[in-house]
Formats: sequence, C-alpha cells, structure tokens
Amino acid sequence: MRTILLSGILAAATTLTGAAAAEPTTIGFIYPAPVADVGWAKQLDLGREAVAEAFGDRVRTVAVENIPVGPDAGRVMNQLVTDGAKVMVLGSFGYMNDGLRLARQHPDVAFMHASGFKQADNLGTFTARNYEGFYLAGLAAGMVTESDTIGIVAAFAVPEVIAEVNAVALAVRQVNPEATIRTVWLNTWFDPPKEQEAARALVSQGADVLFSLHQDTPSVVNVAQAEGVRVVNTGSDMSSHGPDAVLASVVSDWSGYFVRSVGAALDGSFEGVDERGGLADGTVSVAAWSDDLTDEQLAQIRQVEADLKSGAAHVFAGPLRDQSGEVRVEEGASLPDPEIFSMNWLVEGLSGSLPN
Amino acid sequence: MDSLTFLLSGTILAATPLLIAALGELIVEKSGVLNLSVEGMMALAAATGFIVVSATGSHWLALFAGGIAAMLLSAVFAVVVLFALGNQVASGIAVGILGLGLAGLIGTPYEGMTVAPMARAPVPLLSDIPVLGPGLFNHPLIVYLVPLVAVLLWWMFRTAKLGLVIRAVGESPESAHAVGYNVLAVRFAAVLVGGFMAGVGGAFISVVSSTLWSDGMIAGRGWIVIALVVFAMWRVERVVLGAYLFGMFAIAELLVQSMGISAPSQLLTSVPYIATIVAIALLSRDGRRIRLNAPVSLGRVYAGTH
Repeated sequence: MRTILLSGILAAATTLTGAAAAEPTTIGFIYPAPVADVGWAKQLDLGREAVAEAFGDRVRTVAVENIPVGPDAGRVMNQLVTDGAKVMVLGSFGYMNDGLRLARQHPDVAFMHASGFKQADNLGTFTARNYEGFYLAGLAAGMVTESDTIGIVAAFAVPEVIAEVNAVALAVRQVNPEATIRTVWLNTWFDPPKEQEAARALVSQGADVLFSLHQDTPSVVNVAQAEGVRVVNTGSDMSSHGPDAVLASVVSDWSGYFVRSVGAALDGSFEGVDERGGLADGTVSVAAWSDDLTDEQLAQIRQVEADLKSGAAHVFAGPLRDQSGEVRVEEGASLPDPEIFSMNWLVEGLSGSLPN
Repeated sequence: MDSLTFLLSGTILAATPLLIAALGELIVEKSGVLNLSVEGMMALAAATGFIVVSATGSHWLALFAGGIAAMLLSAVFAVVVLFALGNQVASGIAVGILGLGLAGLIGTPYEGMTVAPMARAPVPLLSDIPVLGPGLFNHPLIVYLVPLVAVLLWWMFRTAKLGLVIRAVGESPESAHAVGYNVLAVRFAAVLVGGFMAGVGGAFISVVSSTLWSDGMIAGRGWIVIALVVFAMWRVERVVLGAYLFGMFAIAELLVQSMGISAPSQLLTSVPYIATIVAIALLSRDGRRIRLNAPVSLGRVYAGTH
C-alpha cells in the first residue's frame, strides 16, 4: 500500500534541532503504482535514488507510492507541499490538473510532471523518446523472426504508443520487408490477464516476436517465456522474468533529467519546459540484448544507434506514407517533434485500424 | 496453435474464474443477501494464493488458501449485515474496498513477480481430438471441475432439500423461519460458501491463468461477476452461458485484432459486454418470469421474527 520512503532522515532530524544553515530541501515524489523490482514506478524511484546520491545532505527525498489518479493524488501532493517540499516529481499523466493547480498556488515550488502537455513557469514536463529504443529493438525483431510475424501488445492508442508501433514497423520492414506486423490495442493501461490473453492471441497467429508496449508488469514477458517466443518490453530490464524470451528491454532512465532539474531548482534557475529525452542523452536505452543476436547483427544495430544519437539518422525520416498511402513525410525531411508527439496515423503496411 | 483452438482454450481460461465466482455469488443472492464485495474478495484471494504458491509451489493449496482468505473477508461482511443489520449495499462495497486494500498490503513484496504454471491434466482420448481436444481438454484439472460444480448447483436449486431451503430463505425469510429454519445460519453459511468460491476464482487468475501478482490485476472482474448473476436472472444455466459467452467475446476481440482484421478496437472492447447483455436479455425478455426468478427478499435486512 502506501509506504513512505524516507531517505536522509538524519538530515531531517538535524533541522529539528535547529541547525538551520544546512537545512535540506525536501523533494517529493508521487508514483501511481507500487515500487516493484521492475516497472514504471521502479524507474522513477531509481531517478529519486540518483538525486539523493548526487545532492547528499542538501536534499531529503520523500516518495509516496501507489497513489491512484483522482482526489487522493491531489491530497497527497498538497500534503507534501504543505510539509515543505520545494521540488515535486509527479509520476503520472493523470496528475496533470491537480499538479497545475498546486503549481499556480505555490510559485516557489518546482514541479516535474511525467508525460503532461501543459507547462507553467514552475512546472516542467518530461517524456521519453521510447520510439527510438523500439526502433532499435524492431531491427533485432526483424532479424530474428523465423515466422516473419511480429506481434505488438499495445496499451492505448495515444500518440506516444502510436509512435512506438510505427517505429517498430519501420524498423522490422527495414531489415525484413516480408514481415507481417500485427497489433492488438487493449484500450487499458493496466489489466495483466487481458495483456496475456492478447499475447497468446498473437502467438496463435504465428507471431514469434512480441512487443509489450507500456505493460508495467512482466505479464507479456511471462507468456513469451511459457510459449517459447521472443519479447521486447517497456520500462525496465525484465530479462530475469523471461531469461530465454527477452530479446531486448527498452529502458527509461530519469536520473539525468531529475538530477539536472533538481540542481536547477536548488540554484533558482528552474524553468517549466517540456523535456524529451532519448537515446542521445541516455534517458532511453536498450538493455538486455539477447545472446542469440550475432555479433554482426548487434554491430548493425549499434551503428543505427550511433546514427540516431548523432542525429545522422531519424526514426521518422522521409519518405513516409500512412496506411492509406498518403505521403506524410517527404523524402529528405523528417517528422518534426510536435507531429511525433501528436501522432494519430499508422505507417503504410500496418494492419488494423486506430480508434478515432 | 490455430485460431479456433486458441479461441476455445482462451475462452475456457478467461471464463473459469468468472464462472466459479458467479456461481458463489448466485448461492449468496439466492439466500437473499447481496454481497457486492466480490472484487475485493477476488483480489485478496489472488494475493493470498500467489503468496502460497510462491512459498509452497502447490497450486491446489494456493487455490484453497485463496478461498479461505476470501471466506474470512466474507465472514466480516456476514457479521455486519446479518447480526449488526448493516445495509447490504454499503457494507458490501466497504468490505470490498477493505479487501482491495489488504490485497495490496500483503502483496507488496510480491509485486510484479511470476510463478510456474499449474500442471495440465489432458483428458485421455478427448484431448486427442483435433482442434477441440487441445482447446477444451488440455487444461489444469481445476478447469474441468468448475462446470461440474455448476451441474451440482443446478440440481441442488431444482430438487435438493438444501437448495430449496436456501431459496425459501431468500424468498421469504419470515416463512422459512415459521417452518423452523434458522434464517441467519442459512444466510451466514451461504455468504461463506459464496466467499470461498469467489476466492477460488480470484486465486485462479493469479495462480493458474496469469501466474503473476500485481496490485489491481482483478481489474473489475468482480463487478462483471455480479452483473453476470443479475443478467442471468439467478438461473444457474444462464450464469454458465453468460460466463462462457463473456469469456468467448473477450478472447474473440483480441483474436480479431491479432488476425489483422481492421475494426475499431474500442468497439471491439465493448463487444463482450454488449453481446452478453443482449444474449441474456433475449433469454429473459419475459418480465413476469424475471420477477419469479429474483429472490424476493434480496438485499432486505432481516431483523428476525418472534
């Protein structure tokens, strides 16, 4: 349930005894899920640990786990700010409105909000370019598939996930033009039994590499391991849950962004901007590459990774057509950021349709 | 595995936990008590079952432990509504929330963990039939037991004395009391048995079909269970039909998408709900018979007679 993790509790005690000179700044973290050994909350909490490590006595971090979106979230963040938190990390898209209201009431508190699209002077948002990681994993999937069928279990048809589906499709086709890509949209962010049923449905259609897009538990990884197929998952390295199954894990690492932003908040230079971290700054990385990839295949993937990092290549480089064959990106151009983060179309060759 | 085999086996796995929990809720409601805490009971049982299977490796023990955990929770509910005369709707929701909270609490150390699947028990001969065999007759043993429980309940509520006593208590507790039955004891036992069955259903999800635990994984299935009982008009055979129909459409939705057929996924997501409602509504379109089927004293506080 709701565990409050206190780090630097000794530092807090010092303030009570009146050592005001070294008073640490409280940094509050709110997660929508419990901190497990893998998953979204775990990755945020690793970022919290990095902040505690980087600033030592200067900060005191407080994390509150498993706060569902809704009135509870508003109450918890209000309480943290009332208790003196000067920096707040809001770990769910759904905290947006409560966070914005609180940010307006407390202009002296810096807010960092996950995946939001509204900023304020003291409220910045952060998103990962996971599609870059999934492009690399898609190359691997196209290389190892024997049935030439890739199955994608996708949570919700929001722009972030649509961009990832498109990136997987483009990458698979890049190395394996024959491959078929099948997508199941779950229309839920969290329903492990349903996620597994979708994975089994894709396997029954011949998919031998699965993509688990935004499932927070090893649900799909578990099915892949049991069915003897490959899987690429989101968030954390889940290879311990599917030692034979995990082809790669697209991992998010928030520590760089958190440390940078907390540093800015401490010296008064925090700005409420929209941060999009990717391969280049280490926010997104691909971990747990399967040993079954040959050196040659890995080298090819690493080359693309280097090109994406340096900007020499772009995942959504033209020419790109959508499902209806309409040209969306001209040759020589690439899709600009605002259009990536509002993507509502599937690339040519993908089957299925998007919910409107 | 071809599509039809998957449709059958997926349906069985999706429907079994709903069916066992719905049959339990049916017993409770037949006795005149409305227990809305199914979601919480299933969640607590899923967590308990997962902890037991992690510790002992025994799936049977895990299913049993899940049943017991939910039964204890249902005992809390029973005491509140039968002896403290609490409002059944409010008490059921409150106890359900308690169950969800307890599940998260005891399950925290196991969050996101996975366990080995339960051994399959292929039915001799039948499992060799092409397509149907691997779809219907190659599951863990518990899967085949649940329809047998349904048959037993169908017979019980139709002709057996025990079933008729439960029905009498649910229809008119005053009359049942007048002819010498202990209304509160019958209802208490019904709530406990229903709780145990909801628990087996919840534990089935974490231990047999998903083999993982995560807080919130029951994801509304407890409410579907309650809806199934009501839409089935408290008839055992319709609960069975409803559970398998719902399971089948839930799987078909995913199967259609995985076959690459273009259809709006949000519409597909709602198909299991719509189809189950339509099917059972068609079966139950005679309003007079609905009134005959609904336990007359369902949800009413029974304060005893003198």
